[in-house]
Parts: sequence; structure tokens; C-alpha cells
Amino acid sequence: MKRWKWFVLSILVLSAACAHADEAQVDFNLAIRPILSDKCFVCHGPNDEDRQAELRLDQKDSALGETLSGARPIIPGKPDESEIVRRITSDDADLVMPPPDTNKSLTAEEIEVIKRWIAEGAPWEDLWSLRAPKRPPIPSVNDEAWAQTPIDRFVLARLEQEGMRPSPQAEKITLIRRVSFDLTGLPPTPQEVDAFLADQSPDAYEKVVDRLLGSQRYGEHMARFWLDAARYGDTHGLHLDNYREIWPYRDWVVNAFNRNQPFDQFAIEQLAGDLLPEPTREQQIATGFNRCNVTTNEGGSIEEEVYVRNVVDRVVTFGTVFMGATFECARCHDHKFDPYTMEDFYSLFAYFNSIDGGPMDGNRKDHAPVLRVSTDAQQEQLAELDRQIAALEQRLNEPWPEIDALQQAWSQQLAEKMAAPEDDESSRLALGDWYTVGPFSENRRYLFSKKHGPEGKPVNLEQEFSLATGAKAKWEPRPEWKDGTVHGELPGELSANFLHRTITSPSARKVTISLGSDDAIKVYLNNRQVHANDVARGVAPDQDTVELSLEEGKNDLLVKIMNYGGASGFYFAVQSATETVPEEILEIVRLAEDERSPEQQTKLRKFYRDKVATADALKKARDEQAELRKQRAEVDRQIPTTLIWREAKEAKPAFFLKRGEYDQRGDAVSRRTPTALPPMDPDLPNDRMGLARWLVDPSHPLTARVTMNRFWQQVFGAGIVETAEDFGSQGTPPTHAKLLDWLAVEFIESGWDVKAMMRKIVTSATYRQSSHVTPESYARDPANRLLGRGPRFRLDAEMLRDQALFVGGLLVDVMGGPSVKPPQPDGLWFAVGYSGSNTVRFKADSGRDKVHRRTLYTFIKRTAPPPQMSTFDGPSREACTVRRERTNTPLQSLLLFNDPQYVEAARALAERTMRHGGSTDAERAAYMFRLCLLRPAGQQELDELVQGHADDLQAFRADDGAARKLVEVGELPVPDDLDACELAAWTMTANLLLNLDELVTKN
Amino acid sequence: MNPLQEHVQAITRRHFFGQAGLGLGTAALASLLPQQAAQAAGTGGVARLPHFTPKAKRAIYLFMAGAPCQLDMFDYKPELDGMFDKDLPESIRMGQRLTTMTSGQSRFPLAPSKFKFQQYGRSGAWVSELLPYTSKMVDDLAIVRSLYTEAINHDPAITYICTGHQLPGRASLGAWLSYGLGSMNDELPSFVVMTPTWTGRQEAQALYNRLWGSGFLASRHQGVSLRASGDPVLYLSNPPGVSQEIRRRMLDRLAKFNQRTFEAIGDPETRSRIEQGEMAFRMQSSVPALTDTSDEPQHVLDMYGPDVQKPGTFAASCLLARRMIERDVRFVQLFHRGWDQHANVAGDLPKQCKDVDQPCWALIQDLKQRGLLEDTLVVWGGEFGRTVYCQGKLTHENYGRDHHPRCFTIWMAGAGIQPGIVYGKTDDFSYNVVENPVHIHDMNATILHCLGIDHRRLAVKFQGLDVRLTGVEDNGPVEGILA
Repeated sequence: MKRWKWFVLSILVLSAACAHADEAQVDFNLAIRPILSDKCFVCHGPNDEDRQAELRLDQKDSALGETLSGARPIIPGKPDESEIVRRITSDDADLVMPPPDTNKSLTAEEIEVIKRWIAEGAPWEDLWSLRAPKRPPIPSVNDEAWAQTPIDRFVLARLEQEGMRPSPQAEKITLIRRVSFDLTGLPPTPQEVDAFLADQSPDAYEKVVDRLLGSQRYGEHMARFWLDAARYGDTHGLHLDNYREIWPYRDWVVNAFNRNQPFDQFAIEQLAGDLLPEPTREQQIATGFNRCNVTTNEGGSIEEEVYVRNVVDRVVTFGTVFMGATFECARCHDHKFDPYTMEDFYSLFAYFNSIDGGPMDGNRKDHAPVLRVSTDAQQEQLAELDRQIAALEQRLNEPWPEIDALQQAWSQQLAEKMAAPEDDESSRLALGDWYTVGPFSENRRYLFSKKHGPEGKPVNLEQEFSLATGAKAKWEPRPEWKDGTVHGELPGELSANFLHRTITSPSARKVTISLGSDDAIKVYLNNRQVHANDVARGVAPDQDTVELSLEEGKNDLLVKIMNYGGASGFYFAVQSATETVPEEILEIVRLAEDERSPEQQTKLRKFYRDKVATADALKKARDEQAELRKQRAEVDRQIPTTLIWREAKEAKPAFFLKRGEYDQRGDAVSRRTPTALPPMDPDLPNDRMGLARWLVDPSHPLTARVTMNRFWQQVFGAGIVETAEDFGSQGTPPTHAKLLDWLAVEFIESGWDVKAMMRKIVTSATYRQSSHVTPESYARDPANRLLGRGPRFRLDAEMLRDQALFVGGLLVDVMGGPSVKPPQPDGLWFAVGYSGSNTVRFKADSGRDKVHRRTLYTFIKRTAPPPQMSTFDGPSREACTVRRERTNTPLQSLLLFNDPQYVEAARALAERTMRHGGSTDAERAAYMFRLCLLRPAGQQELDELVQGHADDLQAFRADDGAARKLVEVGELPVPDDLDACELAAWTMTANLLLNLDELVTKN
Repeated sequence: MNPLQEHVQAITRRHFFGQAGLGLGTAALASLLPQQAAQAAGTGGVARLPHFTPKAKRAIYLFMAGAPCQLDMFDYKPELDGMFDKDLPESIRMGQRLTTMTSGQSRFPLAPSKFKFQQYGRSGAWVSELLPYTSKMVDDLAIVRSLYTEAINHDPAITYICTGHQLPGRASLGAWLSYGLGSMNDELPSFVVMTPTWTGRQEAQALYNRLWGSGFLASRHQGVSLRASGDPVLYLSNPPGVSQEIRRRMLDRLAKFNQRTFEAIGDPETRSRIEQGEMAFRMQSSVPALTDTSDEPQHVLDMYGPDVQKPGTFAASCLLARRMIERDVRFVQLFHRGWDQHANVAGDLPKQCKDVDQPCWALIQDLKQRGLLEDTLVVWGGEFGRTVYCQGKLTHENYGRDHHPRCFTIWMAGAGIQPGIVYGKTDDFSYNVVENPVHIHDMNATILHCLGIDHRRLAVKFQGLDVRLTGVEDNGPVEGILA
């Protein structure tokens, strides 16, 4: 391992830094610091605890000064007198450094370069990545004609220094395919290729680039790299790994790239969108970035421990994504290699710990805080339903002669009854307003049996309850709730809601109530359970009848409504309505009609119509209204939510945690940025907003470099700093440090214009080079770190699947919305899933608008990610990933051979070919080849395809049942006008083409 | 070495192969994957590994997910007799943190095991009546009663023991082995995982792909799931209607096209792709040959018990594990679920034990009879232990036990392990370790040691650190159980 590392370093870095001993000096940051960091810093670095002999080789004063024993570690210009040289070259096992038992011994090359550096005066520089980038001068080069852009000059200068030559420009077809993949994640169509070939203007290529940058596919492609970094997934990621609803954040990212939101704003909105003045809905959705961490609700978890983990993940992700900083190291001890302390870590922690919601996710998709994100259509629907409900309400309150007559009769009768001596006032009940609280969520099997919230205790309307989402809930009054109507607006699926009211009775007596519920119901009277019915049903009046034995005075009625899915609802009525006329109404009734104020008249009419009247017309209008309310509740229920950040009203105190343990609190810490980085402008608020603005301040040394490095990596396969996640001492030094600085400064000065920077990269001559490899260039630079040729590597998981669907003509280009589940082999979720999880069983979607979407939209269950992704190195999204590996395995071959989705794509491509590709086998083979590879097939290739087709056709003719089976794979209808054997044989040809190295690679 | 460097190294190696065999057909290419690899090192591992001559070339890890009750199986506590329903002394608990499932309990009543224990073998190991077969083989095992961990809940604890870290993102034990030692076999993956069925309560703790994931290592090191239904390996079968002859023809043509691409462009990755396609083709016959157990003699099947006939059971999986070991699969890991007895120990635990007891015994016998136990390591155990005090209702007939990270029991057997010993000791309540504590990192270091790896030197640079399976603390192989 070490040996290899040094092979690479010595070729690529040492050569740049010192191979040309005649001209160039050893570069401290490129050649010396990596050695000191890797081999020496553990004992002679930033970490106070482990430091030996008080010697710090990460600090100039210490390294060039005098040690405790009086030795001088480094004497500039005098390697032979320098103590460290003595030590690293010593034969004495007790003296030699690093000590042999550390397994960190230096190689001969390393010793040599250290000696040379000291001989050259031991010039010292701070860690390169912690100094703000300055615009470097554009280097001069010999081959001015080749170097078309500043990028090219930096690259060429380095190649020329190495005595290497760049490659010629790639052919036009290769180029348009390459750039289409790099900007949109999809290949071009043959028509787009033809147009480019036909365009002889000098800026033909630039025109293609601009077209691609303007395409909606651009944002989808750029977003997926960001979503790896943001660790976006569709489940919580831990324990039950239930569904989490946060796809609106994914769509926000796509959209942000498409509208070319400046990167500084992009960062600010994700880190602190909620703290912007009057944040828009979109700005709040953006804060989902800090909610993408994995969460748990595992039984028995200690809330404080989970809270600390959640916050640590946010700090670490923040560091990795924006700063290439490995903050995780500083969680338990001061960083051993970089100047970040534990104090720094917990001071950053203090920015990310005060969310307005609990740490446990409640196994709910809408772990608070969330935002409801209705579509325009949903908003329109709600408005329309509200309008209709209001119209009916108005109708219900209008004069209605025949009913008003009945009312008058009733009122008169009641007045008479009251006047009569036998009326026993004491028999009348007073019903208090309804109050509700919920939803309390729970597993299906415990929902009915377990006690939740206020259950089994005297009701206290002041009490606050913690919901599983972490949100707090209080009793809400529902004065508008009328008895005798169905209430359909109880929130939550698979959850319990509680309803409460008081019933005051002048005497102990029995009264019968009528109930309805969706679904199960329990009734408690004065804390005693008096009714329970565990059913699944829709709500309707009079489903259950319960006799209540009321005590004299105030009685507490508590109703638990349990919903097992879909909408939830409730119905209540006391069976003999006249007994329940409230005193307020009775007072109005006692008045003569002309003595009643208009207000009293309205009140009386309302009461009569709501609680007493039985007229059909009225009932009909009321039923209609109830139905509309139900519809409204259903529309409302379907409005998606998305996890957002909302700051708690009071900042939660943060503490230094000894050894990183959640229960080992040290002193309280306050918010501040790491001291090794430029300080935050004191005029900025010291919160996430200040932090975000500090991050994108032009003086910040890391943000622009780290971001540009990732864009570079996206296109060239490796970053200028290969360790995109680590810009510290242990990261690989940049291959083209000045180029990275130039890119960073350009980026900032362009106003953080991402499209402009992508355009600069892909229009460079460097990017446009041919990727052909000669044995010499391969031996010189196997990984193409010096960019002497164009990028060539296997397409990512998403590009592969999208390409197959695209050339098959299947890709559905609908954007956004809930994630989709294209088919995958049975049992992948079930093999690992928690039995009670709502993602334990995978059910594939059906319908082309679901199964043929871009892979960006595929549902990611984080504990069992889709194999189409994970087989091709797609991350599980459990943790922040800024760099994917790129492997080449037999399991990938099997997937490309046999995955039904790829077979279906081949089958679609075959049909497309038979319908549009001409009539002879040769024409068809040429057509299919062109669709896939975009270049015309060579004669030999064509012959082989035709022969292969003939062989396959013969096999299928001999067994047309087999042909039939093959063409039935997938969702597509089997065309009855095409010969199944022909179709099957062409499907195999397509299957071959979709597996070609040339096709699965960005050439 | 970071993954991209590893990649470069891999293609360099292939490049040298390429130089030697330019223009070879696909049949010849297959021979480029050395058959002689079945010696110690394997192909594709890290240079200079193994660090020393290994005792074990392969390993089987029988993982009991959910945490088996050590008190009812191995860690016999006669001192608890007569202490039924007494309170756990505070001098034992010492303020130790509890899960929030029992931290609210008003008291912690002791629940002695209801199962009978007896001593067996020359080692005199105590084993409960739940494990009649295991008790017959105690002289083959090193029973370690003093394992401990810090994690207290399933997800972090199982992630910790399987990947060395409580949070997702790290490489699993099997991935480290594949990365470090490479493959001994050119037609099967080097790390295979099975997730057999269980008969205890069906609502069981989840598993996570990360438990056999590759984390920051290249994804080819991740465990390949061998499935009991559908394709045993994902996408192994040709599409409906496509015969192996058609596939062969397609592969031959594919190789021709790719060879031309290689000649035109010169990227060694292209050649590698040809090789991978060939290995995929070989797997299409080697995997079904592996899973087709019709060639097993009846007496072998009988040894594993009747469940061996039911695909997907623990017994059937153990038999497949042996078949893979025979074929030089480096590492086989079984995850048997259902061991989370918060309640109903009396009802559930016997079923779980019955699932695994006979097959574990049979596996050891089977390996022994074939001489494979000499160079195969077998490990049995879960992610933590369970409490001596009762969770929920305590009766003489039944009780429940909560999570307990401070001690638990595992056993190891086979290559590199001293047979017939009992190592480590807990206090009278099976609450604290009082002798020879073994941290889970120590256990992983021991496993690596048996396979010829110095755990301190198997490291990969990730996020600026030399990350190891066994963490940064000073851990090491447990000398006391090494042969």
C-alpha cells in the first residue's frame, strides 16, 4: 500500500516538485508537508495530547527552533547538521525516526527529498489550502497554438515541464457524446450528432455546449452529484428505515442548477434559508440539506445520544462538502494533522444543534419540522372546495321559509314546555366544546393496545404532549364542531387522535350517545374505559351506541380515534336532542320573537338547524357539505411534506464533549468558526446565516477551491486534489495547484456562476483531447493525472440506466415529484427489513411514467439501496459522499446482461430498429449501431452484427416459445404485427450493443 | 491506499497481463486469472499481505442478530438460584446506563435462567439444555464469555461489530478481508452473505446492507448476497428465452468488439471488462452448481437435520457455507435474526436455539471430517448481551431481558483457535466482566490475526485518517484463545 502510494506520488508530485533539480526548488506543500503529515504529525503535530518532545513539525517556529534538549531539528541549508536528518537516517533502532513500531518508516526517496529541501534553505509555507487563493499569472507555454484557454496553459505548462505532449482533439462524434454526458448525463441523439457534424462554423462546439447548458436535463445531472454529497435518501436510514418525505428538496436542487443559482446563494439557502428575511417556500425547502442525515427511532435509544449523533453528522457533512475538512477527527481529540481543535468542533456544533424538533424521527415520514408543499393543482382544488363549502354554509344560514316555520313551532313548544311547571330543568345537560390533540403515531400492532398521550389520566387541557415527530402538541379547542355531523379532518395515518369535552349534568343519570369513527374507537368517561371497538371502517353516523352513566356535576369524556390508514373521522350525538339545549339558547327562546336581537336570531337559527331540525332539504345540504369537507381533508392529506430546518426559539446550549461522548459534558461552548480559518466578519449575525456568509466570503480559502475541484472531478474523473473530501495535510496535494487557484478566483469573480465555470471547463482544449492511450503515455501517467489525454472512464450508474432507456426510446422526461420504484429483484428489502417497517416489502411501481423515469428519481431505501445503483458504485446515501469509486466487476456484467430493465430497453431498441431501421438486416444493424454508438458502424462490425443476428434468429426459429418469452420481458406491450423471432433476435443484438465497452464508457 | 489509487494499481497489474497476452482470445484470458491463487494469498489483495503465515485461509461467521441471551445459553450463574425477583444490587449496576426501554422501570428484579445447565467435555464448559448439540462439541470450541461493547442499541451495535464503527460509512469485516487478502477463486465472489429464516417471533430487528458493505473500499469488496429464492446471485439467470448457447455467442462477439476497442484506444479497463464478462459467465454455472445440493450424501444431510431440505433455513445455509468453503470462498457470513428477547424468553429462545444448534454442530463436524477445519475459522455470536434483570413481567415460567453491552458470550473454533477452552469470566450476575475482558475490536483483531493479518497494519486512508477495522484504541488479538 505504502509502496504504491509512493510510486504514484513520486511520479506525479515529486517529479513536479523536484524532478527538475536544475531549475525547480522542492515545493514544501507538495513534497515535504505530505511526508511530515503522514509520518511525523501523529507525535509532532497539532494534537496537544500526543505530542512528543514538545516538537511540532507542523509549525515553522518549532521545527526551525530549538527542542527542549537543545537540539535543532532543522537548520536551513545544513541538512547534515539538522537533527531530523540525523534521526531519519539513523541505524540505531532507539533513535531512528519514525520509530520502527509505528510502521511509518521513511523511504529512501523521502529521506532524499527532505535533505534536498533543507539544503535549499528549508523554505516554509503554511498549508496551501488554508491560504486564500490569489489569481495566479497565466503561465507561458511553448505550444501556444494548442493552449486555447487559460486552463490549457496551466495544464500544458505542466505537461511541457514533464516533457510530455497533449493529445490531439477528439473526433467530433466522440466529443459531442462526451460533452452531452458531462452536462446532461445523457447521450446526444443521432440528429444532434448530425447537426454538429454539419455545422462547420468555428463555434459549432460552443453552440452545442450552450444548448446543453440550457437543457432541463442539465440540472438533473448536476443535482445527483450534489445529492451524493448531501446524503439525500428516501428513508431514515437507521433501524426501521421507514419512508422519509423530502423529495421536494431533491427537486429544489435540480431547479437550482437549472436556473443557475449562484453557488454562494445555493450554499446560503441550504445552510440557512430559514434565517433569510421572510424566507420563501423554496428557501425553506432548501434547508432540507441539514435534514438529510440518517435518523433513528429505535426503541430504547437515549435521546441525548441520538441528538449528538445527528448534530455531529451535520458538522461533518458541512466540513466535507464545503471545506474539504475532516472535522470528524476533531470530535474526540484535537485533529492530529490539521489545525482544527476539539474546541473548534464543538463551536461549530453549536451552530447546528438548535432545531425546532426532537432528535427521534418517530418512524414518521414527516419528522418535524416540516413544510407542507402543495402543488398548484392541489391549491386550486382546495380553493374550489372551500368556495363550495362556504356557498353551502351560506345557504344553510339563509332564510328558508318552510324550515323557519318549523323552527318557530319548535321554539314556541320549547318555550311552553319551559313555562310549564313539570319541566325539570335539572334534567338538561350542558355539553362543553370539543378539544382535540394528536396525532400520536405508533406501529399498527400497538396502536389499539398501548396507552398514548392523555389516555388513562385525568384530562388537563394545559398539558403539552410530545408527538413521535418530536413536535409538541397541545389540546386545541374545536368550538366549531357540531354534534350530529361527521368530522373528517383528523390528521395522520396510522395514528391516534384524542377528543375531549365535559358534560355537566345536574344529577347522576344515564344518557345514550351515538358514535361513528374511522377507524377504531375507545371511550373513557371520568378516566374509566366505557367502550372499545377495534374495527377498520369509514366514518358514518350511529355506528356505535354507548350508554354513559353520568355523575352529578362535571364529567370528563375522552374519545380515542385510531386511524389504520387513509382518512380518519368522527361522529357524535346525544340521542335525545332536546335534553341538550344549552342555557344560552333557552334564554333566547324565553324571549318574545320581536325582543330577540338579530344576533340572537342568528344564533337560534343556527342551533335549530344544526342540532334539532330534521328536514330533508337541510339534511341534504348538510350531507353535501360533509362530503365536501371529506374531500377537502383527502386533498389536504395528500399534500406532500418536506423536512426543513426551523431554528428553535431559544438556542440549545452546546458543550465540549470529552472524548466525543454524549454524556461526558465539559464546559459550555459558544458559536465560532475554526481559528485556523479567517475570522467571521463581526457585523454578521453569529448564527447559521453568519456561518454561511462567512463560508462564501471571497477571503475564505476553501469553499471555492473545494467546489471547483468537485466540478473538475465530475468531468475528468479525478479532482485536481484527488482526495476531494480532504484538503488537509493528509489529502493528496493538488496536481495543478495554480490552476485550482485560478478556477477558484474565476468562480468567485464570476459571481459564483456554475454554468459559466462548467462552460470554461468543457470548452478547454484539455477537455477536448482524444482519450486514446499509447503504451508510453500509459506508462508515464496511468491515471491521467497530468491530463495529457481526454477523460475516459465507465459511466456512472445513473448514466448507464438512463442511456439504455434513452436509446431504447423509453426514457420518460417528466421532472420532479415523489421518488419512483422501477422493478428490482424480489426480496431485497425483505431480506434485511424490520418486520414493522413501512419499507419492509418492495412493491414495484407500474406504468411507464414511473418505471422509465431518470434514475435520479429512483427511490433510495438506504439500508437496501437499489442494485442498479449500488452495483455500479452508487453510494447508499447513508453518509456524505463526494467521490465515488469506479469498479469493474462480474456482478456488473450480470446486471447489464440480465436485469429485466436493461433487457426491456434492448427489446424496445429492437422494436424501434425493426420499425424505423429499414428492411434489410444490414440496414437495421447499421441503424441500431448508430442509435447506440452514434458513429457509423465499420464494415467488419456490421458483418458481425448481421451474422450474429442470423445465428440468433436461427436459434429462436428453432424454439419460437423462447422468442416469445424474451419479448414479453418488461412493461411494454408485445407488438402483434412484428415477428416474435425477429424481434427476439434483434433484442439480443441490442443486448450486445448495450454491453459494449465503448457504450458503457465515456470515451 | 485510497480507492482511486487502488484502481490505478489494479489496472496497472492488468496492463502487465495485457502486455503478456495481447490478442489472446477469451478462453486464454480466463487463464490469466491464476488458478494457483488458491494458496495463501489470493489475487487482487494488498501487496505484502498476509503479514505472516496464516493459520486460517477462510472463515465463516455465524452472526446471531438481535443479541442472544448469554445467561440462558452459556454464562451459567448458579449464584442466582434463590435470588429470583430480588433487586439487582446497585454495587453491580454502578449507575451503568440502560436503554430507555427499561430505564423507566421502578425496579430491576433478577431473573435467573429457567433452563438447566450442565458441564460437558474435557473443558467442563457449562452449556444449557437449549443447546444439546453444541454441548457435544465444546471441546472443539473456544467459548469467550467476556466480550463487551459500548453500543447499547441494535443498529449502532451491529454496525459497530461488523464495521468497527457505530455509524454507517465504514467497510465491513468481509470487505476488509477481500481487500486485504484478495480472492482465492475465479468463479465465485470472495465474500458471500446469507440471511437465513428464523422461527422465533417474526417481528425481528432489521439488517442493513452496510453490515456487509464496502464503505470506503471499492464496491467489489462488498459481500454478495446468496439468496434462497429467485436468482441466488442477483441477475444470474439469463432473460427468459435466452439459452446459455445464445449467451455464449453474445459474449464471444462482445469480446471481439471490446478487443477492437482496446486495440484502438488502449485503455486497460476495456480488457478488464472482457475478463469480468467471462467471470460472470462462469458464475452462471458455478453458482447453480454450488447451490444444487443434490450431490450431498444422505448421512451428511442428516447431520444438519431436517431443516436442511428447506431452502433459506439456517441449516440449509450452513451446508451452503461448507460448500463455499470447499470452493475457497474467502469469507462466508450468515445473519440469523430473531434473537431480541425483550419478552417471552421461555417461548422464543428455545425456537431460536433449535434453529441453529444442530446445524452449527453439523457444520463443525462436516468441516472437520473434510479436513477443512484445519484452515477455516468459524465464529458464532451476536452484537451484545442481555440483562440479568427482567424487562416486563417476571414469573418463574417466563421473563424478558433488555440489551446489555457490558458482557456477552461468543464462540470461535477451527484454524488458529485453541479448542476446548472457556475464556473470560463475568460476575455472579453476568453483568460485568471480572476476568479477561475482550472488546469487540479485540475479537475482530483476533479474526484478522487468524487470517494472517496484523490488524494495526491493515489500514486505509479515509478522511485524512488511517482507518482500521479495529479502531484507534490499543486493541489486539486475544492471545489466550489463539492456538
